[in-house]
Amino acid sequence: MPNDPSRRRFLKQGGIAALAGATSAQAFSLKNPGRDAQDPRYIGDAKAHYAMVIDLRQCVGCQACTAACKVENAVPKEQYRTFVSEFEIGTFPHVRKGYVPQLCNHCDNPSCVSVCPTGATFKRKDGIVVVDSEICWGCGYCLNACPYDKRYFNAQTKVADKCTFCAHRLQDGLLPSCVETCVGGARIFGDQNDPNSEVSKMLATFPTSVLKPHQGNAPQVFYISLDSRLEAVHEATPMLDDVVRKELGLLDKEWPKLPRGVS
Amino acid sequence: MMEWMSTIAAISPMRAWGIDVPNYFWFTGSSAAAFIISSFAHVFGFKQFKPIAGFSLLLAFVLLVAAPFNLIDDLKQPGRLVNFFLYGWENFGTSPMKWGVLLLIAYPVLILVEALILYRPYFIKRMEEGRGFSRTFYRWLTLGRASLDAQSLEKDHRLGFTLGAVGIPLALCVHGYTGYILGAVHANTLWHTPLMPVLFLASAMVSGTGLLLVLLPIFQRFFSLSQAIDRSMMATLAKLLAWFIVIDLVVRALWLSFAMPFGMQSRELLYQFFSLHFNMVVYVEYGLCLILPMIVGFSKLRHNLGIVIATGVISAVGVWLFRWNTVIGGQEIPRSMPGFTQYIPEIFGQNSIVSVASNWGIFIALLALVAVIFPWDEEMETHYQGVNNGSK
Ligand code: SF4
Ligand code: SF4
Repeated sequence: MPNDPSRRRFLKQGGIAALAGATSAQAFSLKNPGRDAQDPRYIGDAKAHYAMVIDLRQCVGCQACTAACKVENAVPKEQYRTFVSEFEIGTFPHVRKGYVPQLCNHCDNPSCVSVCPTGATFKRKDGIVVVDSEICWGCGYCLNACPYDKRYFNAQTKVADKCTFCAHRLQDGLLPSCVETCVGGARIFGDQNDPNSEVSKMLATFPTSVLKPHQGNAPQVFYISLDSRLEAVHEATPMLDDVVRKELGLLDKEWPKLPRGVS
Repeated sequence: MMEWMSTIAAISPMRAWGIDVPNYFWFTGSSAAAFIISSFAHVFGFKQFKPIAGFSLLLAFVLLVAAPFNLIDDLKQPGRLVNFFLYGWENFGTSPMKWGVLLLIAYPVLILVEALILYRPYFIKRMEEGRGFSRTFYRWLTLGRASLDAQSLEKDHRLGFTLGAVGIPLALCVHGYTGYILGAVHANTLWHTPLMPVLFLASAMVSGTGLLLVLLPIFQRFFSLSQAIDRSMMATLAKLLAWFIVIDLVVRALWLSFAMPFGMQSRELLYQFFSLHFNMVVYVEYGLCLILPMIVGFSKLRHNLGIVIATGVISAVGVWLFRWNTVIGGQEIPRSMPGFTQYIPEIFGQNSIVSVASNWGIFIALLALVAVIFPWDEEMETHYQGVNNGSK
């Protein structure tokens, strides 16, 4: 009812709130409204600096992480925040397999963040790179800027999406879901600022490497025992097989892969 | 060397930019070129370009108004356009896309004001002849300055010169920034070169001139007062096109002769890329769409109207293909999986062939509207009469 006094009061208050919102600093922000408001989800744990170590000596390529991540984060069909690439090395009978689990590297110098024209993608104080799904306008600049191809447009939310190191679980004192599920214990997660954390100890004990160091992104996902030849395959010729893709077909119909042998 | 290694599973990454983006780049580039050609007369005082300066200015305006629709169509959340203006200003220094906020507003406003000043005497005439709405409408277009005495004409002239002069760097920025958008992406082997803005500008001059070679005869033949095509202007433009092609070829030669033999990790991928697209790049993009028009422009063939119009078409198409091969081609290059991806645009829907065709529809409709409102034909005619009188 238009004359309902409570409704009128509501409209009036709403109008004032909207006006205040429009003229407050948040309506025109250097960053984005969530960061201006110091929302804990946007700031994270200011004392920590999170990192992951992936011990490839332990990885058996079971894809449990892939599955756990999809369930935990409701990642849409045929999209992935983490995935284990699988390779075959050598010729029969002298063959072995190689695995490279991959996820967003939560780079210390993230090229996805610097190019974002809306401030939707940003780095929290604890080093986790996140996307504000309310702000992102879906321009895709970050997808092109990530040297690791670790971003995609979420088919349901229609905004840029990627691994968050399970920030929502960290908040509750839990580990990222891929870490918790890893059968070989290949994924180790923790705070680099804490010298007693398992991650710090691993980093102090073993030599590690990161993917594509020449990009200058300073990834915070470190690999133990990474065979550099495996990484080279990523940027290699179109001649290599991809059995799974051939079997299952293509993921994004606008961008199918060239058939084998075309080079 | 790597034969003993094969991939069993990897995921095909998602790629962000489709057919809308090369089309957008083509439009902004051609707009910058049209503006610069109009400035030849307005700023540098090249008299032979006077008759087409006004038309070219209007063309620059229309191209730039039509261009951003491509960007909006490319967005996954077009309803959030306002976020682009409100947030994320801390990334201004590092996100060339952000520069677009300022450039895409400032540049068309500048061209519009320059055009309103250029055509002011004609608007005043129409205002005086008109009645009712049309009178009010043309009064608006005079921006409230209805005097035609020597002093205000002189002021128009000075303003036109200043706006044209300020507009040149702005036009270069409007297209140069699109080169920055790609060049800044160090993750992309094909794009990451400081030459990218220069490459884009050089080829834009080619496409803008090519477009003029197509539109000018159509407008002169069917919509101008004398209904006659200025053949010597066409020949002049064809020669100008040839010079722009020379510049374009030099920049491209610099780019490839550096990136291919001396690029670091990119070298191998670029070889792969160019062998994958060898026929398209070498025979079509370079041979047919650049070298051939250059030969026409420098030879007697430039006096043949039909050939010159065809030259305009192929050089404009060639630059479109270059945009396509750069934007789409760059995204084909693998970074996290073996093998190149391939893009086939959708026919309908967002980011499709139909959406690009619709954008061309918007461009044509706007061009028609602007051509109706602005008395470009009368203005053009005065220059031809001036030339005739002078030669008598
Ligand atoms: S891996 Fe890619 S998405 Fe993740 S922080 Fe680095 S650049 Fe950004
Ligand atoms: S897609 Fe979203 S998060 Fe990515 S750059 Fe554009 S606005 Fe930023």
